[in-house]
Amino acid sequence: MQASLGSEFDPAQPLPPSSTASGPSESAGRRIARGLGRLIPFVPALIPAVIIVGIIGALLSAGLQANLGRTFFSFVWNPAQNDWGIGVFLVGSFLTAIPALTLSMLIGLGLAIASTAFLPRFVSRWLDPFVDLLAGIPSVVYGIWAYVTLRPFFSDTFNPWVHLHFGFVPGVGGRLPSTGGQGLPLAIIILTLMALPITTLLIRDSLRSVPQDLWESGLALGATRWEVVRHIALPYSNRGVLSAALLGFGRAFGETVAVAMLIGGASTLPTSVFSTSNTIPATMFSLLDSARNNSHFLSALADMGLVLLAITLVVNILGRRLVSSLYAYEMAGL
Amino acid sequence: MTAGEGMGSSDGGTVLSVRGLTVAAKSKKLLDGISLDFPSQSLTAVIGPSGCGKTTFVRTLNRMAELTPGLRVSGSVKYLGQEIYSPGTNPVLVRRRIGMVFQRPTVFPKSIFENAAFGLRLVHEDEAEVDRAVTESLQRAGLWDEVKDDLDRPALSLSGGQQQRLCIARALATRPRVILLDEPTSALDPAATQRVEATMQRLKEDHVLILVTHNVGQAARVSDRVAFLHAGRLVEVGPTAEILERPRDPLTEQFITGRFA
Amino acid sequence: MATATLPSAALDPDDVLTQSSGRLLWRTGFDRWIGWLLPLLFVVAIYPILDLVYYISSRAIPTLSWAILTSTNPTATDALGVPIITTFEIMAAATLLAVALGIFGGVATAEFLSTRAAEWVRASANMLAGAPSVVVGYFGYIVFVTSFGWGLSYIAGVVTLAFFMTPYVFRTADLAFSSIPRPIREAALGSGSRPVQYILRVGAPIAFPQILTGVFLAMAIGVGETAPLVLTTTYGVLVPQTLYSPVSFLTGLIWANFSQPQNSGLQILAFQAAFLLMVLVVGLNIVVRIISAQYRKRLEGLYQ
Repeated sequence: MQASLGSEFDPAQPLPPSSTASGPSESAGRRIARGLGRLIPFVPALIPAVIIVGIIGALLSAGLQANLGRTFFSFVWNPAQNDWGIGVFLVGSFLTAIPALTLSMLIGLGLAIASTAFLPRFVSRWLDPFVDLLAGIPSVVYGIWAYVTLRPFFSDTFNPWVHLHFGFVPGVGGRLPSTGGQGLPLAIIILTLMALPITTLLIRDSLRSVPQDLWESGLALGATRWEVVRHIALPYSNRGVLSAALLGFGRAFGETVAVAMLIGGASTLPTSVFSTSNTIPATMFSLLDSARNNSHFLSALADMGLVLLAITLVVNILGRRLVSSLYAYEMAGL
Repeated sequence: MTAGEGMGSSDGGTVLSVRGLTVAAKSKKLLDGISLDFPSQSLTAVIGPSGCGKTTFVRTLNRMAELTPGLRVSGSVKYLGQEIYSPGTNPVLVRRRIGMVFQRPTVFPKSIFENAAFGLRLVHEDEAEVDRAVTESLQRAGLWDEVKDDLDRPALSLSGGQQQRLCIARALATRPRVILLDEPTSALDPAATQRVEATMQRLKEDHVLILVTHNVGQAARVSDRVAFLHAGRLVEVGPTAEILERPRDPLTEQFITGRFA
Repeated sequence: MATATLPSAALDPDDVLTQSSGRLLWRTGFDRWIGWLLPLLFVVAIYPILDLVYYISSRAIPTLSWAILTSTNPTATDALGVPIITTFEIMAAATLLAVALGIFGGVATAEFLSTRAAEWVRASANMLAGAPSVVVGYFGYIVFVTSFGWGLSYIAGVVTLAFFMTPYVFRTADLAFSSIPRPIREAALGSGSRPVQYILRVGAPIAFPQILTGVFLAMAIGVGETAPLVLTTTYGVLVPQTLYSPVSFLTGLIWANFSQPQNSGLQILAFQAAFLLMVLVVGLNIVVRIISAQYRKRLEGLYQ
């Protein structure tokens, strides 16, 4: 009997060549197909890498259009005169992100310490998720709420009061800009709220990872709870605290829509702490419309995107490095 | 103050006195009406099967048991005649006088010196005093010779046994009269265990040591008295030789003969 | 038992348990004080949420009605039917694409990549997740709107949003498959099943709840995003008719109308959109919690 695919199995005959046989009897076409087949499973894994490379590539290609050269980091932004100095927006970004980070680290530390060292477990168990909730609120919702409730507070109460009582501090005194409440203070407050869940979560998790008997050893030596936190638990978790600072900064720096709604969209350097300003992401977001038909404009915006991406990526990579587990915080959407 | 002065009176007075100590968690009693005294210059081994409450017991002696949520402590524990659970008593002070060494070496992520000095620094700021006390504690814990060349090394660079002796030194630095040791050698190898046992024998001349151990052989080697706990109750207590060789209670006998290694 | 105890009068001052030296008082007092102060910080965190929910609800609900929610009248300025439907359409399409990309990518990473290669891929997923939404929006604009020539359109928005959501699904799929216990994986592969069979027959059922959770979380994030969509689409009053149609969606509506005069119809519209958005986000998060709870139960059974 001829051995061929589909025929009955005859024990007296040698086994027919199977369809997966390799060797000289395999056709070149089949070999290529098999090689490709081996490669195929790996391809989907490249998706995130492809996308991120694509993003960088897109920004680069759009950004290299115009010759922006040495004036790129200047403090003069005037599209009408082909001045593309992003210095103004960089300053605005840092002036909002750094105070916001500081505040959210302080509050976050306080909350995390309260949760792990001072509050009984059954209380912190339901208080903690409240703070985590802050992370789930969409940015644009923060924006509209703050625009309607906090903005009047700043324009009617906060700004005038601080201006009056702290006028001697440089940057506070002088002319009080009439901003309708928009500007740096409002933006800082909202960024603080948006970075808070991140800093609190990271520091809290870090403190929770301090072994129980280390904590108790401190208490057994006659330390108060605060002293154990300060001298034992915090030093033990300093990597977690650092990563909280880095990732919190990344969040505050990269926040787009809420800031765009609250900061006032200025294109000059702030003259006082109450001034309106603009950040890189907010500028990119609000000006794309105007840049649609102007390749220089678009180029400048794309280059701003590169700067933004570079800063946030560096900060995020460093921050994640400090926390070793696989996707430690993916569930929190970080 | 030099070592030994004010450390333990030679008249064998009672340093710690426990009466009717009961610890309840929800509906279950972890400890039930324990009464016993601890005289100065003694080493009492607390033994018993797992879950008998020996760790809970020692933790009530320095007011650490109350850190576990849901535990209610009642009864009396008197340190030199003063009730440690009275409302006017500051737990911080109790823990300074009644020190504790844990099962795992729990050195802090600091230098050797800073570890030993930790308890002291909370109270004193005089560098000379701290320095002196650290040296003395490390010597008494039997670690001095091994670390004297570089006290600024991180404590975590020490071996397990050395770390545990550092924990002992750390507990000694605040000059407690009583030292509680909760299975201090269970995480150590035999050589390290031996050194810790030797340290305990030296220390019992100046302190009251209360040792929780699951190793009856260890109790035999180092203790003067043995207290046997079973299901939260104190079954019997007495001189080591008596308890181990001629136990009065059948429970004790069962435990000892089953565990003697 | 010896009962001799030292009389208090003979106590070493160090042994007195009720002493109150200045320093001790300060330490204890400070500890007590900070034990009250720090928990009060929770007010700082919780008050804004409560105020936000209350304020938005109080502005949105009074004028909300079923009619408004379902009206698709293109000339009405208070109709929400179109934005709601469009938001759902965009989310459905974007989620589908993100799920396809994310699951294929995540599973492939967990199953086929060497550790070193996987580390690189995971790093790039983290980078993508960490990219600000405006950057992803620009990517969408440059590549899809301009380069591919789709223009400001429904499809450009959907694909851009999908790319934004992908890393979240990717990470969950990767994590889910990576945490399948080794014994199970080795038993399946060792007894001769091919990787694809293992993935579909053994891995998928185990990983499914976790991946589902990740999908819903990605949706909760995606539905609240503004920049990726606003930068790649243009405003429309109708439900998308073709792939290249203009669109209107909830987040865009808020962005467009937030600065309208106080209490004007358009501002109320923005609040209503915000309210609906919150409902969606909360709803999705609740679903995530339910699935997680079920998953935990099932996972416990798996290891007994």
